[in-house]
Amino acid sequence: MIKRLIQILSKKKPQNITIVSGLPRSGTSMMMKMLEAGGLPPLTDKLRTADDDNPKGYYEFERVKKLDQGDIAWLSEAQGKAVKVISALLTYLPPTYTYRVIFMHRAMPEILASQKKMLIRRQEDADDTRDEEMAGLYLKHLQRVDSWISGRPNIKRIDVNFNEILKNPQPYIKRINNFLDGILDTGKAEAVIDPRLYRQRES
Amino acid sequence: MFGSKIKIDKELLTRATDYAAKSGYSSVEEFVSHLIEKEISRQDESLSEDKVKKRLQGLGYLS
Repeated sequence: MIKRLIQILSKKKPQNITIVSGLPRSGTSMMMKMLEAGGLPPLTDKLRTADDDNPKGYYEFERVKKLDQGDIAWLSEAQGKAVKVISALLTYLPPTYTYRVIFMHRAMPEILASQKKMLIRRQEDADDTRDEEMAGLYLKHLQRVDSWISGRPNIKRIDVNFNEILKNPQPYIKRINNFLDGILDTGKAEAVIDPRLYRQRES
Repeated sequence: MFGSKIKIDKELLTRATDYAAKSGYSSVEEFVSHLIEKEISRQDESLSEDKVKKRLQGLGYLS
């Protein structure tokens, strides 16, 4: 009986998976870096290395891109860590785990301008869809993702605005830390914010 | 409201009329219009998701 009790008490409690999400170029890498500096380890394979678009690294885990193909085995490794999952892949997360989603927002013209630069650098077609149309498509996409998240009892969510956090980080970091049950070293997380990386300001 | 007409198989129309009544539509025209709107919207949604997917692939965020 006592042996059984010890076994139950010593059994590792499943931990939340912290997900940093949003549209690409909405500040997800900066948030990952903040979480890492604040003491929450990232799940990353460092395959996509720093470049002109993300001088401080992408903080990606390649297998995330295969979520839509059913690759979910890696999620057990993500417990107790932070992992970047773009909004388009969130809906493939299985209900098996509990997730805390930090959802990044940024002014749409800035996202589109930054994406355009990145497409050009990657030698992809940057003009296949007009900005106005792409903005509309993204807004619809975000509404669908919002609706999906709101129906999931295993997901807690906080929304963070990239533009605002750069202007006034402290209240945001406090809210994020509360959301994460106070695990962050907020001073170290704040020290990571580098307004010099804010290169696609709305005019 | 229903100024235009379309042809539909008589038997299918009977089934559609019955179904519309059972489902609470005020008329078979309302039922058919709703179905068409839903289908167009579904197709639009799929098309827009495809465009988003293409953009994300171009950016290297989707495989």
